[in-house]
Amino acid sequence: MSTSPQEHTRWTRYAPWILLALILIFPFIFPSRYLLRTMVNIFFFAALGCAWNIIGGYAGQLSLGHAAFMAMGAYPTALLLLGLNVPPWLGFIPGVFAAVIIAFLLGHMVFGLRGPYLALSTLAFGEIVRILLLHFRDQTGGSLGLTIPFKGTDAWKLQFASEQPYYFICLALLGLCLYVTYKVHGSRMGYYLQAIKENQDAAENLGIDLANNKVRALMISAALTAVLGGFYVAYFYYIDPDSVCGTDLSIKILLVAIIGGVGTVWGPIIGACILIPLTEISNYLFGSGRAGASLIIYAIILMIVVLFSPRGLIALLPGGERSYRHE
Amino acid sequence: MDVEIVLQAIVNGLMMGGVYALIAVGLTLIFGVMNVVNFAHGEFVMLGMVMTYLLHLFLGMDPGVSILLVIPVMLGVGALIQKGLISRVIGQPDEAQILLTLGLSVLLINIALLFLGPDYRSVKTSYKLSVWAVGPVLFSVPRLLAFIVAMAFSGILWLFLTRTDLGKGLRAVAEKPEVATLMGINPKKMHALAFGIGIALAAGAGSILTPFFYTFPSVGGMFVLIAFVVVVLGGMGNIPGAILGALAIGVTESLTSQFVALDLAMLGVFIIFVLVLVFKPSGILGKGKVY
Repeated sequence: MSTSPQEHTRWTRYAPWILLALILIFPFIFPSRYLLRTMVNIFFFAALGCAWNIIGGYAGQLSLGHAAFMAMGAYPTALLLLGLNVPPWLGFIPGVFAAVIIAFLLGHMVFGLRGPYLALSTLAFGEIVRILLLHFRDQTGGSLGLTIPFKGTDAWKLQFASEQPYYFICLALLGLCLYVTYKVHGSRMGYYLQAIKENQDAAENLGIDLANNKVRALMISAALTAVLGGFYVAYFYYIDPDSVCGTDLSIKILLVAIIGGVGTVWGPIIGACILIPLTEISNYLFGSGRAGASLIIYAIILMIVVLFSPRGLIALLPGGERSYRHE
Repeated sequence: MDVEIVLQAIVNGLMMGGVYALIAVGLTLIFGVMNVVNFAHGEFVMLGMVMTYLLHLFLGMDPGVSILLVIPVMLGVGALIQKGLISRVIGQPDEAQILLTLGLSVLLINIALLFLGPDYRSVKTSYKLSVWAVGPVLFSVPRLLAFIVAMAFSGILWLFLTRTDLGKGLRAVAEKPEVATLMGINPKKMHALAFGIGIALAAGAGSILTPFFYTFPSVGGMFVLIAFVVVVLGGMGNIPGAILGALAIGVTESLTSQFVALDLAMLGVFIIFVLVLVFKPSGILGKGKVY
């Protein structure tokens, strides 16, 4: 790299603050509904990618069923709102507890498995939750899903006619996910997870409790994912088993992290900044009815990243190497 | 409960299980020889279905004939995919091959979606609704034919692996790649052959499914999950294990949908899957590759 270390320091010191300021004033400069929705989508998927990254990236335990945790946050939020008029900002809490408990149980069951076996069991876990959501249609609405009626702006219920409030709520949630990731990144647990990712047997020989650390990482990841599930209900007003618990969603979540850069704080944001606008462009070019087009692009990018830059696109940025932990 | 209903459910399950077996032996062969878990396997079932559908639509070809075209074509396609893509991730961390084949799966589904649209399409054969009664038990003719063809191809694979030099070469690479190389076997060629055979069998299973199963772009998803369950149940890389596992899963699915709830059929399958993974990840027939 031609730039000197000092320049890196200057770049990394000021750039995030300038960027943050731009993001904060963005909704006031560009009040376009469409642009803001795209931005909310970017924040949302970046946050999901961050949450996934804690278990999938830092700990290297590939989860292909993460959408199930989102459903665990989304369904209680929607049911409490529809049945008991509990506002989403309170109603998401039981779902988060449910997700953490399920993550604890699931983790203890499957984390003895490695590689493809683990990936397959998490895939099956996601499908089990989706099948159950479809089956108990009296409670969940089955494949028809649950629709939240919009009854005019009501801040108590997080219902807003304008796009700006959602923009800031989602930005705050992204901030939360980044903060948690940052904490994990620099903690003792972060080092343990890194060691587990590099070589589980060696990590165990060094006295690291594999099961305990992996399960804790999954619980943190599941909790954040469930919180985002609650936001999904407030923002999209509609959930069904395919939209919040499908394998497609699980794959999209991990794509964001992997394309950006696994095991880095900022990787998922880069991933979301690439994937979401790509979806928009492809919907514009091919029509949103042909949803296939954007996924074709995702798939090709994923394959290129796996073959040529397995550590994600962040590794190609100036100074990107430093986003990783020590190696 | 009625004995006849149970018997009927078991027969239906076995016939579907035969098709699962053909899909799963391909998956387990690829795993056994190359140590690659092919997440795109279901999409090759879909490609086989689409090819058969198109051959029927434009040429009026019967699925029983098109399978003889689909299998050699997919054999070549598989060898090319192995050379161009999969060979690059062999020997790399598991994540690389999982993500690469996952990407291939998403790619194939969405290419099919782009060209065919999301509609459910069916192949109408003259025997589509024919039924053959043996006492109280009814055999649907297309399902029975599918079962027989699937078992025949699984048997041919078994003979190929145990009786021919090429088949023995494949097994040698599966067992000890270094020693096989010393014996003058080119592991790269064997990998291409294994991947080609694996996905050709999956596509062949797709062909024989078309008379009684709708063809649509994401149809592979359910078959790949079942094939994974079967392969884990039988022991990864174990071909007789895969055939037995497939029949067992077919029956489990059929009994669950008959006696528990129609939409929970897959739940029984997945619960068995997770239990086997957690308590006996080497499969019910013991461990290791068996041919």
